[in-house]
Order: sequence, then C-alpha cells, then structure tokens
Amino acid sequence: MLPESAPFPADQITALNRIISGSSAEQRSWLSGFLAGYQAATAPQPAAAAPPARRAPLTILFASESGNAEALADAARKAAGKLGFAARVLDTADATPAQVAAAQNLLVIASTWGEGDPPQRAIDFSAALMADDAPRFEGVRYAVLALGDRAYAKFCETGRLFDERFAALGAKRVADRIECDLDYEAPAAAWLDATLGTLQAEVGEKEAGAVIHVDFARPAAGGAAWTRTRPFEAEITERIRLSGSRSTSDTWHVELSLAGAGIDYEPGDSLGFVPVNDPKLVDAVLAATGHFGDAPLRTKLLEQYDLTTLTAPKFAEYNGNGSLVRQDGWQVIDMLEAAPRKLTEPQLLSLLRPLAPRYYSIASSRKAVPDEAHLLIAAVRYAAHGRERSGVASVDVAERRKAGDRLRVFLKPNPHFRLPADPARPVIMIGPGTGVAPFRAFMQERDAVGARGRNWLVFGHRNYTHDFLYQLEWQDLLKRNVLTRLDVAFSRDQPEKRYVQHALWDARRELHAWVQDGAAIYVCGDANAMAKDVHAVLQQILGEQGRDGVAALDALRREGRYLRDVY
Amino acid sequence: MSTDEKLADQRPLSANEGIKARSRLLRGTIAEGLTQVETGSLSDDDQQLTKFHGIYVQDDRDLRAERGRKKMEKAFIFMARLRIPGGVLTPQQWLAAERIAIERGNGTLRLTTRQTIQFHGIIKSNLRRAIQGLNEAMLDTIAACGDVNRNVIARVNPWQSRAHADVMAAADAIATHLLPKSRAWHEIWIDGEKQSGGEEEDEPIYGRTYMPRKFKIAVALPPHNDVDVFAHDLGFIAIEEAGRIIGYNVVAGGGMGMTHGEPDTFPRTGDVIGFCTPDQVTDVAEKVVTVQRDFGDRSDRKHARLKYTIERIGLAAFREELQRRLGHALAPARDFAFTGNGDHFGWAHGDDGNWHFTLFVENGRVPAGAGLHAIAELGIGHFIITPNQNLVLADIPPRRKAKVAALLKAHGLDAPVSGLRRNALACVALPTCGLALAESERYLPDLITRLDEELERAGLAQDDITIRMTGCPNGCARPYLAEIGLVGRSPGLYNLYLGAAFDGTRLNKLYRRDIGGDAIVTALAPLFRSYAEHRTPGERFGDYAIRAGAIQPTTAGNAFHSDLAPELGS
Ligand code: SRM
Ligand SMILES: Cc1cc2nc3c(=O)[nH]c(=O)nc-3n(C[C@H](O)[C@H](O)[C@H](O)COP(=O)(O)OP(=O)(O)OC[C@H]3O[C@@H](n4cnc5c(N)ncnc54)[C@H](O)[C@@H]3O)c2cc1C
Ligand SMILES: Cc1cc2nc3c(=O)[nH]c(=O)nc-3n(C[C@H](O)[C@H](O)[C@H](O)COP(=O)(O)O)c2cc1C
Ligand code: SF4
Repeated sequence: MLPESAPFPADQITALNRIISGSSAEQRSWLSGFLAGYQAATAPQPAAAAPPARRAPLTILFASESGNAEALADAARKAAGKLGFAARVLDTADATPAQVAAAQNLLVIASTWGEGDPPQRAIDFSAALMADDAPRFEGVRYAVLALGDRAYAKFCETGRLFDERFAALGAKRVADRIECDLDYEAPAAAWLDATLGTLQAEVGEKEAGAVIHVDFARPAAGGAAWTRTRPFEAEITERIRLSGSRSTSDTWHVELSLAGAGIDYEPGDSLGFVPVNDPKLVDAVLAATGHFGDAPLRTKLLEQYDLTTLTAPKFAEYNGNGSLVRQDGWQVIDMLEAAPRKLTEPQLLSLLRPLAPRYYSIASSRKAVPDEAHLLIAAVRYAAHGRERSGVASVDVAERRKAGDRLRVFLKPNPHFRLPADPARPVIMIGPGTGVAPFRAFMQERDAVGARGRNWLVFGHRNYTHDFLYQLEWQDLLKRNVLTRLDVAFSRDQPEKRYVQHALWDARRELHAWVQDGAAIYVCGDANAMAKDVHAVLQQILGEQGRDGVAALDALRREGRYLRDVY
Repeated sequence: MSTDEKLADQRPLSANEGIKARSRLLRGTIAEGLTQVETGSLSDDDQQLTKFHGIYVQDDRDLRAERGRKKMEKAFIFMARLRIPGGVLTPQQWLAAERIAIERGNGTLRLTTRQTIQFHGIIKSNLRRAIQGLNEAMLDTIAACGDVNRNVIARVNPWQSRAHADVMAAADAIATHLLPKSRAWHEIWIDGEKQSGGEEEDEPIYGRTYMPRKFKIAVALPPHNDVDVFAHDLGFIAIEEAGRIIGYNVVAGGGMGMTHGEPDTFPRTGDVIGFCTPDQVTDVAEKVVTVQRDFGDRSDRKHARLKYTIERIGLAAFREELQRRLGHALAPARDFAFTGNGDHFGWAHGDDGNWHFTLFVENGRVPAGAGLHAIAELGIGHFIITPNQNLVLADIPPRRKAKVAALLKAHGLDAPVSGLRRNALACVALPTCGLALAESERYLPDLITRLDEELERAGLAQDDITIRMTGCPNGCARPYLAEIGLVGRSPGLYNLYLGAAFDGTRLNKLYRRDIGGDAIVTALAPLFRSYAEHRTPGERFGDYAIRAGAIQPTTAGNAFHSDLAPELGS
C-alpha cells in the first residue's frame, strides 16, 4: 500500500491503492518493470544539444513582491531565447551581487514596495549591492526596467537606485531605464522588445532578418488566460458582511463561481479584480469639468479610469502656471473642484490613469470548494479634506454589488506563498484582519488532503465580539484537531492595546518549540505596521538567550520557512 | 417529615447536583475554559459553576439573529455581580467600579434590587482583569449568585445612625457567617493557581453540594420595608426600642419566582415565625439554611426554594425542625408596622449631624464616569445602594453639603420625577438576560411617561403608587409586591397584576393577561380616575383596587393563582 506521505493527492493514493491491492503478484512485477522503463525513456536528457559557444549569455535579474516583475522576467527570457540568447532568470532572493557581476549581459526588472523600499525578498541583495564592499561590474552591459505606482511618492525608487548603482559600479548602460506605472504591460513589452534588440546589436550576434516581435501580453495556459485586460466575469454566489453590526470595520466574505474559467488557483494565490468606480464620484468629476450628463463618457470613467490617484505629473499638467498647490492626500476631484475648469474629453482623460485592478487573497481551496473562489474584502473608508473617501474596489464590493452580479477577475499566482511541500511540516500562520484570508485557504487545503502537519493560527482584529472573522470555522477546525492552536489579539477590547505581536510574544516558548520542529512561519496582511512589528518580535523571540535573532529569522527566510504576503 | 420520607423520594437529582458534586468545591474547569480563546463562552457545566463566583455567561440578545450568518458564535458576554452586604461602598470603591465598567464592561453600572452592582458586557478576555480590579478595591463577587446565600440586604437609613449600624452589623455578620469557604474564587480569578500547602478546604455549613437552590436574606427596620422583607427565603424585622435594636422577628418562606402556566409555582410572602435576640441572629440564619439544605427539593429546581419546602412539609413542621436544630424555641413575634416599601428621595438630616441625599436612579442604570463620578471624587461619605435600585449619598459632613448639592444640580441628578416613576422598578431583561420573554428596563420608562399623562389628568401626578415590571415571571424586580405589576409573557405583551399592599405585606393578583402598552394604559386609566375620585383618606391604590372590586385580594402565596376574574380562567 502507498503510504499517506506518497507524493500524490489523497484521491490518487486511494485510486492507486485500489489498483495495487486488487492486482496479482505477476501484474505488480510487470508494472514495476514498466514504470522503470517509462521513467528512463522520459527523463530529461543531459543538456548536450545547444551549442553554447554561439549563443550570447543573458542574465535576467528580477526583484519582485507580488509577481509582476517575475512574470515579466519570464516573458523576457522566452523572447530572448527566440533572439538567440542563452537567457537565464535569476531571482534577487537567491542571488548575490558577486554572482550577478559575473554576467556579461544583464537585464534588471525591479519593483518598488513599502514607501520606496525594495521587495522584501530583495532586501538582502539590495543591501549588498549598496554596500561599500559591493563587487565591481566592469564589463557588464545592462538595462533596468522599473515597476511602480505613481500614487507613491517614491515612484520606481528601487529600479532607479539599482540603475544608478550598477552604473556607479562600472557597468555599461545600454538603454535608458523605463519607469512603469501600474499599467505597465504595453510600455514594458515595447521597452523589452527594443532593449533586447539593442543588446543583440551590442553583442554582435544579430542574425539578419531575425527580428522577432515578442507579444508579451499573449495569454499563457490555464487561469493565466484571463488577464486584467481580459478578465473572467465571475458570478457572486454569496456575499456576507462578516463584521458584526456594531463593528467599527466592514469586512465582506464574497464567494465567486469560477465554473468554466479554468482558473486553477493554489492556496496562497490572489485574484485580481477590476472594479467599477463610484457613480457619485464619476458624476462629480463630470460636473466639475463640464460634462455632466455625458453618458458615453460616464461609462468610460466608471469602468476604465482611475479617478482617485492624483499623480504629480498630472497635477502639474492641469495646474500649468496656475496657483494651485497640491495638498497631501488630494485626489483628482479635489484638484478639479479647487479650480473647476471646462475640459475637453481628451484633456480630461489625459489627466487620468487607467483604472488598476486590486488584488485579494483567495480564502478558499479548490479541494474544498471546486469551481469557487472566496475572497475576504475589507471596505476602505476615511475622510480627507472634508470629503468622505471610499476605496474604489473594496467599497464597490461592499456597497454596490449583490449576489448574482459578476466581478471581473483574473488569477494572480503567488508561487512564493505556498504551503510547505511536506504536508507533515508544521505551519504558523500570522494573519490579522483580512490577512487571515489565505490561511482559511491553507486550512481548507490541509484539511482536504489530510495533511498531518500541525497548524497554528494567530489572528487579530479590533473587537472580539464583532470582528472575529470566521470564528465558527476556526472552532470547528480546532474541534476536529485540524487547527492545532489558535491565538488571538483584539486591539480595542481593553485599555491596553493588544496586537498579534503581543500574542506571539506571550506564546514565545511554544513558538520556539514549533520552529525547532521545523515549522514554517507565514505572515499576511497589513504591510505598514503589522508586518514590521511581527518581523521585529520574531527576531526578538528567536534572539532570546543570547542568540542572534536577526540571523535566525533570516535563515528561516532563506530556507523558505518565513514567508510573507503583505500589502 | 422524617428521614424516611426523604429517602422515599426516588426522583433523580437535578443535573446541577451532579455538577456541584463533581466541581471540587466550585472549580470545575473554569480556569481552563478561560484560556480557550476560540470561544467567548465556557462549557455548560462551568456556566453553572461561575454563578457561585457571582458571574454569569450571557449573550447580547440584540445580536443573536445576525451571528450564525456572520460565521460567529453568539455574542457572549459576562455579567459580574458584586457582593455588598447592605449595599455600602466607599467613594473609592465607587470610582473603582466605574473604572472597571468603562475599561472592561459596557460602561454602565447596574444597581440591583439586592443592593449591589452588576457589570454587564464583560468579554471573556477581560473577565479576570475585571475581577482582579474589584479585588484590589476590596470588593468581591463571591456567592453573589448560585445555590448559596446571596447578598444580604438591609434597610438603608444612615440618618438613624445607631439603628443603621446595628442592622448593618447583623447583615454583615450573617453574610460573613454564610460565606462559602471554598478558595476557588481566589484561585481562579485572583491568584491564577492553586493555593499550595493548605488543607483541602471544606464547607461546614453547606456541604459539597451547597444549597438545593439560591437562598436570600433581608433585614428590615420598621416602619420601612424597602427590603421587601416578605420576598426572601429568610427575613429579619428589627425591633427597636429607644433607638437600639433589641431583636428581630424571623420571617421565613418568601420568594417571587414562578413559571407561566405552572400553577404549582407561585410567589409567596414569608411567614413571621417568631423572634430572636441580636446575638441569636447568625445561628437562626445558619439553622434555617441547614433545614433548607436538608429538606429542600434537589430534584426539581422549580420547586427547590424554601417557600416550597414550607408548603410541602408545613409551617409547623418547619418551625419544629428549626427549633430542634437551634436547641431552643423562638420567642413570640413582636408587633411591628410598615408604611411602605419604597425610598424617600432628597436630603435628610441624620441624628449624628451628617447629611444624606437619596438619589433617584431610573432602573438602577448608571453611566460610569458621569455626574456621580464627580461626587465620588470628593472622597467623602458613602455610596449606599438601596433595594429599590436607587442610591443614597450618605454621611456627608455639613460643610460639604453645599458642594454635593451643587454637583447634583450641575449634573441634573436632583431633578424631581413623578410619583409613579419614583416608585418604579424594572428588572434588566433584554438584551442581556437569557430568561427574558419581553423588554423591561428599556421599556418601562416610556410606559411610565404614558401612564403619567393619565395620572396627571386624574390629578395623581405626585401620588406614590408602586409599579414594577419584569421581563419574565422570575420576579427580579419583585413585581408581585407592586400595586401595579407587569410581567412579561412574550415580546411586547405583559400580564397586569393589581392590588398588592403599598407596604409590601400582600401580593397582587392577575388583572389582565397578555396585553401591550396601549391596552395597559387603557386598562389603568379608568382605575386611576375612579381612585382619584373615590379613595378614602390615605387609601392606597392597591387597597383601592381591591375595594373597587377590580381583583380579589391575595391572602397567601398558594392562593396567588386563585380567585381570578372568570374571563381569565384559573
Ligand atoms: C439584577 C437583578 C434584577 C434587577 O433589575 O435589579 C436580577 C437579575 C437576574 N436574575 Fe433575579 N435579579 C435580581 C433580583 C431578584 C429578585 C429580587 C430579590 O432578590 O429581592 C428575585 C425574586 C426573589 C426570589 O428570588 O424569589 C429574583 C428572582 C430570580 C429568579 C427566580 C428564582 C426563583 O427561585 O423563583 C431567577 C431565575 C432562576 O434563578 O432560575 C433569576 C435570575 C436572574 C438572572 C441572573 C437571569 C439568569 O438566571 O440568567 C438575571 C440577570 C439579568 C441581567 O442581565 O443582569 N432571578 N431575582 C437583581 C439582582 C439581585 C442581586 O443583586 O443579587
Ligand atoms: C497581494 C495582495 C493581496 C491582498 N489581499 C487582500 C485581501 O485579501 N483582502 C483585502 O481586503 N485587501 C487585500 N489587499 C488590498 C487590496 O488589494 C486593496 O488595496 C484594498 O482593498 C484597497 O483597495 P480599494 O480600491 O478599495 O481602495 P483604493 O481606492 O485603492 O484606496 C486605498 C488608498 O486609500 C488611501 N487611504 C486608505 N486609508 C486611508 C486613510 N485612513 N487616510 C488617508 N488615506 C487613506 C491610501 O492611499 C490607500 O492606498 C491585497 C493587496 C495585495 C497587493
Ligand atoms: C503595499 C504597496 C506598496 C507600494 N509601494 C510603492 C512605492 O513606494 N513606490 C512605487 O513606485 N510603487 C509602489 N508600489 C507599487 C508596486 O511597485 C507595483 O504594484 C508593482 O507592479 C509590483 O510589482 P511586483 O509584483 O513585481 O512586486 C507599491 C505597491 C503596494 C501594494
Ligand atoms: S425577571 Fe426575568 S427577565 Fe427580568 S431579569 Fe429576572 S430573569 Fe431576567
């Protein structure tokens, strides 16, 4: 009989066991011979085919958090391969500057996170690159593609710093850096196309007539077929406000039908959601610019344009030599109403970015709910400059959608936030607020496959009574011993604020023991405060009794046992 | 009632008896339950045991409907009830209570009909801290609920300083004597672990299964019956001579609770069974407790109070057994007379020169941190909770009176209210009480506003008429001793009872069944008018209702359900 730990899903183990147990000794011996032969025939052959001497090497280095840069790196590798490069992709998470300095041709694709920080898995690389003892890059030809979001003050900061640093360390820039906003696909594709061409020319390997246009936006197989520009229309089958009626927050559980979409997500992945703007805001923008009642324009603004982000260049464009001063937290409407002006439609549209999708961690496992994806969405609401503000996507779902409506979604895989390959490995999941979403998926998955590993969830929110998301489900999992341990921290229940990092500290002895036993630590949710505080407390806990906590946590990260999905 | 008769009882013990017996003197698994973060509640058995520690598991019933759909369990919250014999707090204790209500509870203090404070809305993670905070203020919740002697209540009259001191001393002595000896409360709530070294404690009075049911004691000082001395398992009526208490009449077998549709359950006024001297009080209390401990019904909790024991074995047999245990006969009861069971509001000058202000608190609900906070911060006198859910600011030195008066005025705490409202009681009921069938505390104030219009029309706006409402027939606001009693039957519907004595010596009687607010007003308005017109001098509304033939008088508890108007059935 196959053991439970066999590398097959439970249902396949059952099926195989059924066949094996029903077979004769003769049949089994035939099967083992067949499998051995099959394995030998299909195993990858040692590489002997490519003539390395003729192909120019190209290193494509990426620094990515949510996968955009990584996906571009992959697309660039394929395109470069067609152009005759021997291209390899290197993740900053696994690379040192010294390795990279050995490259002859280098393409760098880097996104920016936090407030102008490198993606977390690129932090070590970035630090080493900026350090005084960084290696020299003489003889390296390179170009940088930076990903970012103009809504942030430090737009494309990481890409810019990398670019400057490579130059300072002696590398040769072959193309100007491109800084891409959220709608990066088309400009990135064009830039990669052109830059690969330039590199090809530089290395003198250009073959006549071999100019290949690379279609970067071409859909790949499976769930990747659906993209932000070609999203799948998923029906909302259930929509529940999980927050209690007296909660100070507003969090929704949304169930989507993915029937027929072929979106084969894994726990840890997110769904991209293309929202629709708030009609009231659209009307205000139309009114401020002299287009009130223009139905076709209204539809465009509702569905295609970002009406909230006011970037510095757009502001400058509108203000011209005017007297407006862009205030912190201003959105497009604030500027328009501060100095209303009749605009032509093209003038108005040129002030607006394309509407970007928002991402939501999938809170379910296909093994538990085939053909469905569940999301956990917290409505963003706040007031600024005398106006009530609503998060575009979250409030779209919280206020304007109902069961039966369709959401435009596409898959956003997150290969760096996966359950351990070993189902017996213990996991510690730290997910306050909506950060708990992927852990619901993890637990559904581990429950469905009967994984033996212990599971520890640390949840937090504001009030126990009103914000204990999925409480009954956790109770059930605990009762069935699927969830091994639960700790909670509710910040507003008592005079002293209590957050997940306090719960972790209180449980530090057990945390040590779990880590000793090989546990992987996952963190999901708020990036600004929570993830940093949790990071610090983990260092502190691992650093008890004279140990080096910083190094210990770093080591866990390198082993793939400290994974974060924070936003 | 021989031992044979007890042994002949073959009915199984009630489930609570097993829980108590297995509880290791009230410990159960409460301490472990407190560490289970996934639920805001405790196990079923532990929920029974926390009562002995003055703590109830409740849930916010306003939220029940939404919870399951939101994938959350009921909105569990705890209620904690203090044990304050005679209801006396220092201002520092009042401030501590306020702070705990704000930091750990729902921000209110609830003065109860048994002279204490309830905290509502404490979630599990705050419970231990709340109790520890109380402990630091020299307060506790031990035996405030459960099958034990409850908070001992006593007449509030600090203006008669010596008599009050005597009555308080008696209440304190009884409370201390009957306090459970188990260390469980300290262990679970304060120290967090088992007291080491000590002997396994014992319960010499109660035994390991405690009482068959709750047990209540009150001490009255005529002519005031503010404690409703006839509503308790055991009552003491102080007999005063020349400013000193020379002894107490003993009253046994009172109680309020009943169940709708079960006529063998009924409220009962206690019987006066004799007289004892001050030094005999604790012994009498102990022996009444042990008789009930041994003879009370441990199979059916609906018949487990002393009142049913006395009904079952007979008053004579009960007295005989009591006197056997006392080793002497009780002296014949002395004469006494009561004038009312309410409070008298406003300033009163005490015989020791101090001033005392009785403050009207609607339904006992006090927002923590508001006006009374400022007064408590003066740090003077005492805060005494009355059995009518009101508050006496006692022992205020003459030179501070003006300051207190100014604060009362500034916070609107001295505003006059109507005769009906100042004589009103409502139990807690919704949303916290798990047994409520209808609203009470949240509804009575509005209903009184409507009734006041009728009273004003009849010229009765300032007449003292007692009205009490409860959300179910358990009778927590002692509604069967009110001239107008309203007892919840289902949401929005109440039974209306009339004809109790103003001084708390006679129960009322059912007058209308299952009526809502409009019908209550319609039923009472003509009675108000005819009372105003036809009453004899000094005649009380309850007495008038009988004379006018609205209802028959209730002469004894077991006749409570009899002699109803034909249309009400029996
Ligand atoms: C707070 C208070 C009413 C108030 O508005 O002030 C109260 C509130 C409750 N009473 Fe009471 N009782 C309160 C005085 C009374 C009284 C009046 C008295 O003691 O003078 C009575 C009638 C006298 C008697 O005991 O017969 C009373 C008879 C009951 C009963 C019926 C008992 C019976 O044997 O018939 C119950 C139900 C039970 O015990 O099963 C009950 C049960 C309850 C509970 C604990 C409900 C429960 O068991 O789950 C109520 C909590 C509600 C809440 O959310 O706070 N309460 N309860 C009073 C607190 C007293 C104290 O500080 O200890
Ligand atoms: C990989 C990933 C996974 C995610 N998973 C989830 C998830 O599972 N659940 C979930 O709810 N969200 C999740 N998010 C966040 C989500 O994508 C959106 O960012 C979020 O819902 C807000 O989008 P919105 O369109 O409603 O708000 P937007 O219209 O984008 O507004 C948000 C912006 O408003 C501003 N803002 C917000 N609050 C304030 C304030 N108090 N004062 C001033 N300015 C403020 C900030 O600039 C903020 O960036 C995830 C994000 C990522 C990247
Ligand atoms: C929490 C958060 C912080 C971000 N901070 C910045 C920033 O400071 N500057 C910037 O240009 N872009 C910022 N971005 C935008 C990302 O760089 C952008 O989404 C990019 O496409 C992500 O690429 P990746 O998936 O490869 O990480 C931020 C995005 C998120 C979600
Ligand atoms: S009378 Fe009934 S409803 Fe009112 S508090 Fe008591 S048990 Fe609850």
